Amino acid sequence: MLKGFTTILIKELKELMRDPKILIGMIVLPLIMFPVLGLVMGFAVQTAQTEAQRATLLVVDNDCGNWSQVFVGYLNSTMNVEVLNNTSPQSVIDRGLLAQYNSSTFVVIPSGFSDNLTRHNAGEWNVTGVVNAYGVFNGGGGIFSGVGGSTVTAVIAGFNRAVAPDVVAVSQSSVIKGTITEGVSVSVLSGLLLTQSIALPITIMVMLTYAMQIAATSVAMEKEEKTLETLLTTPVDRFAILMGKVSSTIIVAGVAAVTVLIGYNYMLGSLSVGIAGNSGGSVDLVALGLVPSVGGYILLGISLFFTLLSALALAVVMSAFSENVRGAQALVGYIYPLIFIPAMALIYLDVNSLPLAIKAIFYAIPYSHPILAAKAVVTGDYGTVVFGIVYVAVFTIVIMYIASRLFATEKILTAKLKFGRGKAKQHSE
Amino acid sequence: MSLAVEAISLTKQFGQIRALDGVSFNIKPGEIYGLIGPNGAGKTTTLRIICTLIKPTTGTIKIFNQDATKQPEKTRQIISYLPEESGAYPNLTGLEYLQFMAKLQSKPDTNLKATIDEAIQICGLGDRLKDKAKTYSKGMKRRLLVARALMTRPKLAVLDEPASGLDVLHAYHIREIVKSYVKEHGVTVLMSSHNMLEVEYLCNRVALVNKGKLVVEGEPKALKAKFNSENLEEVFAKVVGFA
Ligand SMILES: Nc1ncnc2c1ncn2[C@@H]1O[C@H](COP(=O)(O)OP(=O)(O)OP(=O)(O)O)[C@@H](O)[C@H]1O
Ligand SMILES: [Mg+2]
Repeated sequence: MLKGFTTILIKELKELMRDPKILIGMIVLPLIMFPVLGLVMGFAVQTAQTEAQRATLLVVDNDCGNWSQVFVGYLNSTMNVEVLNNTSPQSVIDRGLLAQYNSSTFVVIPSGFSDNLTRHNAGEWNVTGVVNAYGVFNGGGGIFSGVGGSTVTAVIAGFNRAVAPDVVAVSQSSVIKGTITEGVSVSVLSGLLLTQSIALPITIMVMLTYAMQIAATSVAMEKEEKTLETLLTTPVDRFAILMGKVSSTIIVAGVAAVTVLIGYNYMLGSLSVGIAGNSGGSVDLVALGLVPSVGGYILLGISLFFTLLSALALAVVMSAFSENVRGAQALVGYIYPLIFIPAMALIYLDVNSLPLAIKAIFYAIPYSHPILAAKAVVTGDYGTVVFGIVYVAVFTIVIMYIASRLFATEKILTAKLKFGRGKAKQHSE
Repeated sequence: MSLAVEAISLTKQFGQIRALDGVSFNIKPGEIYGLIGPNGAGKTTTLRIICTLIKPTTGTIKIFNQDATKQPEKTRQIISYLPEESGAYPNLTGLEYLQFMAKLQSKPDTNLKATIDEAIQICGLGDRLKDKAKTYSKGMKRRLLVARALMTRPKLAVLDEPASGLDVLHAYHIREIVKSYVKEHGVTVLMSSHNMLEVEYLCNRVALVNKGKLVVEGEPKALKAKFNSENLEEVFAKVVGFA
């Protein structure tokens, strides 16, 4: 045994376990965070399922033969079906029929369907009927965005089992911003965009936590070294001290936002190559209009910038309440769940498919907004982005106002958070 | 003649703790005034009130006839403060620190180069001023900060334990500087210290603070005579009550 090892180990454990920050940060937070994440996911799955059950499948029968009627009859036995005749896929979209039936998927039975099935049954095995399924792509990298398409596939597999093996094949296509892209299924697109929707939230997560650490350290260092105290006795405007601190971090935040966007753009560009769609061609996000426009990038950049700014301002305020660097870092650590939970949840979920209450919580957390914005600029939903920017900007102004009040009084030197004071009392007893 | 510092029944309450309990004293211009007293007596709290960092709970503080509580901006133009146990910016060089602080502390029309040259002279750090402050020893940092506090020739310099952590020679050097500064530039100095030798040598008058109250005040010589003691340490011990 190493000499003194046990003694040192026990002392280290005592030190660590008695530090409430470590206890809360390492044990309590994860205990809360994962159940919360699980709860959110559970809700989402439930919502997606109920919606899929309630949903109406729009069937366009352009064949109107015996077999198409048998096929429609089979579909009708397993789900809600609404049948239209002699309509082109594009006019289904143009006439807004999907919205009318609250559906995100429709199926088209092309003319010749019954003929093909009759010939198949007569022994021409290589002649099969084809059904075209169209899914609306809503921009999400959400895990449930392909639900409609796979339900159709499952039902048709059932039909084939009942009638004849492989008698009907499905060709999946997507509807992107009102335009049909043949041969690319929604789930392929979602899979492709999942890569995007993982990379950006993680980058934002890392950037925000890192920036907060830097800002908190910089303020706490001034307090610890008493350079702040010295500054406060000079004839400098106190707001200038605060603004100087925040502005330097604004510059860093600006550079960081631009760097992230350049990397993001590069990644989207390189994702566009060589991913095979159903038709054997390749999917190109740029050609499909699934990358942000220049305006979209600018909005996303502004959203990133304000979010960083709000995080930095909050870190400055929080670290003003601590006496040293370690305390400040632990204190800003309490904000991290608010960064992590939306980032992790929004990787998998489409915020629009969430129950209203949970949706409201996500919108209330400022750090959700660049992630929401990243999805919204792809689908061209600029209203969401602008709302987010305004919300985060107002949040930032409030925090900055609190910070300036704090710097104007002696609180900047004497303020301590409640639990700190409570602890001090315990010691003196 | 107007007073440099006029403190009238200062009290300061921090939650449950009464840090100051009716402290009054006057400092004349050109004086070196020393605050002594045990740990936690309220010395730093007094100095912070004078430097406009915190406000007294009750009482009045006037610096050259200006109310420091009501007009902190004006007060900040004529004082400089050296906090106890303070540091510089670790990633700035000593010289950069002096330049930075000179710009903030000086009036617009001052000759910054002369100010900084003066600081270079005072701190005696020589070429090490070009190194980052994080490479300095404790004493080197202290010398840098004392130089910073004096270089702008404030009307009132408030020094909280200026020579703490300095070796004998450098403490001596700093004392000489403070003394000559007062003589040559008419600076008034208010300092706190735990070094009775230093206080006896430097200060024209001394106040002994204990538990937030000013217990005795006077010239070092007079205090020694009054308490029939050989040095200030003995006076201190007799007043505070350990002896
Ligand atoms: N920000 C604060 N919050 C709460 N109590 C404080 C604060 N600052 C000082 N005190 C208390 O006020 C009292 C006086 O402290 P002060 O720092 O003035 O003592 P001091 O004479 O400078 O001591 P030392 O010789 O140790 O530097 C102490 O009891 C201290 O705990
Ligand atoms: Mg002190």
